[in-house]
Amino acid sequence: MGKPLPLAALILLLAAPAFAQPSGEPNSCATCHASLPDQRLSRPANTFSGPDVHREKGFQCVDCHGGNPAAADKARSHDFSGRESAMAFRGKPTGSAIIATCARCHSDAELMRTYAPKQRVDQSTEYATSVHGKRLEAGDKNVATCASCHGAHGIRLVSDAKSPVFPTNVAATCARCHADEKRMAEYKLPDGTPLPTHQFADYQKSIHYTALTKGNDLSAPTCNDCHGNHGAVPPGVGAIANVCGTCHAVFAQKFEGSVHQQIFDKGCVECHGNHAVLKPSDEMLGATGHAVCATCHSGNDDKGAAGAEKMRGGIEHLKASVDRTGALLARIKNAGIEVSDDELALREARTKLTLARTEMHAANPPAVDGVLTEGEKIVADVEKNGQRGLGELSYRRKGLGFSLAAIMLVVLGLALKLRQIDRRAHL
Amino acid sequence: MADRKRMLQSTLNWLDERFDLTDIKAFVKEKGVPLHTQEVWYYLGGLTLFLFAVQIFTGILLLLYYRPSAAEAYESVQFIVTKVPFGWLIRNIHSWSANLLIAVAFAHFFSVFLLKSYRQPRELTWVSGMLLLFLMLGFGFSGYLLPWNELSFFATKVGTGIAGAVPVVGHFMLRLLRGGDDVTGATLSRFYGLHVAVLPAITTALVGLHLLFVQRQGMSVPMKIERRVNAGEPLRTMPFFPNYILRDVLAWYVSLALLAALALFYPWELGTKADPFAPVPPGIRPEWYFLAMFHTLKLLPSHIWIFEGERVGVMAFGLAAAFLVFVPFLDRKASRGERSPAFTIAAVLGLVYLVVFTIVGHLAK
Amino acid sequence: MANVHTSPRATKPKAVDAEFDRRTFLDALLAVGFVSTAAAIAYPVAMYLVPPATGEPETASAVAAKAGELKPNSGKVFKFGNKPGIVVRTPDGELRAFSAVCTHLDCTVQFKSDTSQMWCACHNGTYDLGGNVVSGPPPRGLEPFKVNVRGEGSDAEIVVSRA
Repeated sequence: MGKPLPLAALILLLAAPAFAQPSGEPNSCATCHASLPDQRLSRPANTFSGPDVHREKGFQCVDCHGGNPAAADKARSHDFSGRESAMAFRGKPTGSAIIATCARCHSDAELMRTYAPKQRVDQSTEYATSVHGKRLEAGDKNVATCASCHGAHGIRLVSDAKSPVFPTNVAATCARCHADEKRMAEYKLPDGTPLPTHQFADYQKSIHYTALTKGNDLSAPTCNDCHGNHGAVPPGVGAIANVCGTCHAVFAQKFEGSVHQQIFDKGCVECHGNHAVLKPSDEMLGATGHAVCATCHSGNDDKGAAGAEKMRGGIEHLKASVDRTGALLARIKNAGIEVSDDELALREARTKLTLARTEMHAANPPAVDGVLTEGEKIVADVEKNGQRGLGELSYRRKGLGFSLAAIMLVVLGLALKLRQIDRRAHL
Repeated sequence: MADRKRMLQSTLNWLDERFDLTDIKAFVKEKGVPLHTQEVWYYLGGLTLFLFAVQIFTGILLLLYYRPSAAEAYESVQFIVTKVPFGWLIRNIHSWSANLLIAVAFAHFFSVFLLKSYRQPRELTWVSGMLLLFLMLGFGFSGYLLPWNELSFFATKVGTGIAGAVPVVGHFMLRLLRGGDDVTGATLSRFYGLHVAVLPAITTALVGLHLLFVQRQGMSVPMKIERRVNAGEPLRTMPFFPNYILRDVLAWYVSLALLAALALFYPWELGTKADPFAPVPPGIRPEWYFLAMFHTLKLLPSHIWIFEGERVGVMAFGLAAAFLVFVPFLDRKASRGERSPAFTIAAVLGLVYLVVFTIVGHLAK
Repeated sequence: MANVHTSPRATKPKAVDAEFDRRTFLDALLAVGFVSTAAAIAYPVAMYLVPPATGEPETASAVAAKAGELKPNSGKVFKFGNKPGIVVRTPDGELRAFSAVCTHLDCTVQFKSDTSQMWCACHNGTYDLGGNVVSGPPPRGLEPFKVNVRGEGSDAEIVVSRA
């Protein structure tokens, strides 16, 4: 109970007897500050008068800042002593004071229940375990606090699309600091190398980003889905497969049983990257060229290389079979043969391809081979039906042959008849 | 043999008592078709008529299964081609015959144009024929949308968009054609109504008129021959029944064989179902019979003097169409039986332009 | 009509006969030709006019199963056009139908009676009985279809059609 204690103490210290309840009218803070010439003083008041979830629930400036909202002059409204106010004026909170200000209400389960029964109340506890929280504890005022991500005035609900912590906006919010080289310059990784700042750029190349922003899939991961919301820490070794496995369960399962699980330091990240997770392709599998396996596996004696090549070869073969048979079906469908049963069956073959790509993560070539063989069998059946369809086409050709013969008969007959009647007509 | 003749005779007598077949009998006996070096062109008219009859026949058969709504059109064509016995044959003959019909109609038009058969007294035959040619193009344009696949959807979008380039009434025409501002199911309904009811009705009337004129006035002969005949030379003819008509029928049977072979060996694609929200596929272009016009419009600069390039192009084509309709009245020399090289040159230039630009339009990316 | 092939010799009747035979042969030939082409046209047209086995474009509707086949808390994958569909009887006995094409990578989903959910074996995508995604990679729910029952008793047909 060492580290969180000072924060908890701070919270208790700042907790005023009359606990947080909305203060109601009047509000001299806003009327005075809004008209001040200094931007730093007028902006918060103006922002707060716009869309803000706290203001809409009836909270006012004094509920976080303290002071006397009824007083008209600066000295009495900025009531540092607390004699004329429910809570003593504390000015602009910085550092841990921010955490304490927010946690005063948001860690109070009974209070939060009256406003948002489902909302969690452990954010500050989580925060204390995060890198941000620990560094703040150590005196670093540069790190993110509640206000850095959620704002201080003009706070919107997380479900509001304009909120900086709405899923599609989270990465940009984190990047405000983490992509800023100057700001990150003083921070180092545990091994001494400077903290990278290209994560956001990398993430924007990823398929998760595409799914989130263009695919309208709000369940696609962004920074907080892997790093944690308030307890933000890069996933440790061994935790990575669990993190990815939350959504990609089957792959994690297969990987777990594989030989790579014990060898890889970074689990899924070894092959797929951590931020620039691209849409995987079959090219990643194999022991030559751009294949990821080739990073470690190569040469004729390497069993892993042989296995990778075998799996890749099998997958490519099934892919080619499916495409070839698909083209045959399309051709005869266009000519008018009924192929819907075979199209359905070919779907199953494509499913086998998908299953093989999943199975491959267990790094067990015979298992992959089993799935591929099932797929090849389906394709072979469809191909047979396709050939029969071609047979139907040749039957039609015979029919055409008959019709053409009949027509040629008429043409011949007409030609001869014309010769006859022309002669009669002296032509 | 004698029995058959007697049966035929008694049937004709029975009809004669009721409908007075004197005129028809005289017509059958006397109608002759001139014989000369250019007689082969005579067959194009009959061939056009035959192909149009094929369209009506196959079209009615397609009508029995086709569904003219955006939700079902594509599926119904797929159904016809894959599930209905010989549906593939009917549909493919309809598609191929449409193209053949337009090609033959253009050949018929150009042969008449070059041989100046439009001269007095056949001006109205020409006018009705020109209108029929435009109607055939209308059939092609409206029918093309009906399968509701990607290509036809975008081709219609581009084509009706060009209609919008006509000054003053352009936008109104575009909305009238599309049944709204965009190509939608409303466009499909409209084009369907045009294709199966409105255009066939007008065409039937005009074809009737066109044939009536041709039958009453007889076949025209080239001016050179006409001058010789007027100078006293006898005109060789062949009887319409049965010599000419059997030749016509021969040509029709050959084209039937061609259609059947094309339908089997080069079936028409189903394509992918139209998606109004998909982007325009690159290299979209209309069918070959609109290609020359389309490519010309593409090549025009965006502005010619103070006018929009496209607008100038559309107006030019409109004027050309109007000019063509009135050619018999403009070509005074031909009306007098004199040589009229200006119009021959115009016809040749027109033919060359259409052929070249169709080829160029096809080869362009 | 005068026969232009008359020769002045006494073989006149034979020439006439020969001509007559040729004419009859030619007429017979033409008759055979016309009849066979007419048949070659009439046969396909007649076959075309007879309604095919599947009366309508199948992509509009299909018979998924017999009413007695589907016990409560069970499902069945069936053919809907050229794509798979799935019909489910909920534990309460209600019939629901969806497209069985998983919205993730097009694998075919199946019904799991132990969880009463629809599940995709490829990557563990799970859908609830309303077709909504519960967990896993699918980005969207399953497309719902309309279900109607035609007939009575356990032989009644469950007809599924586009919503």
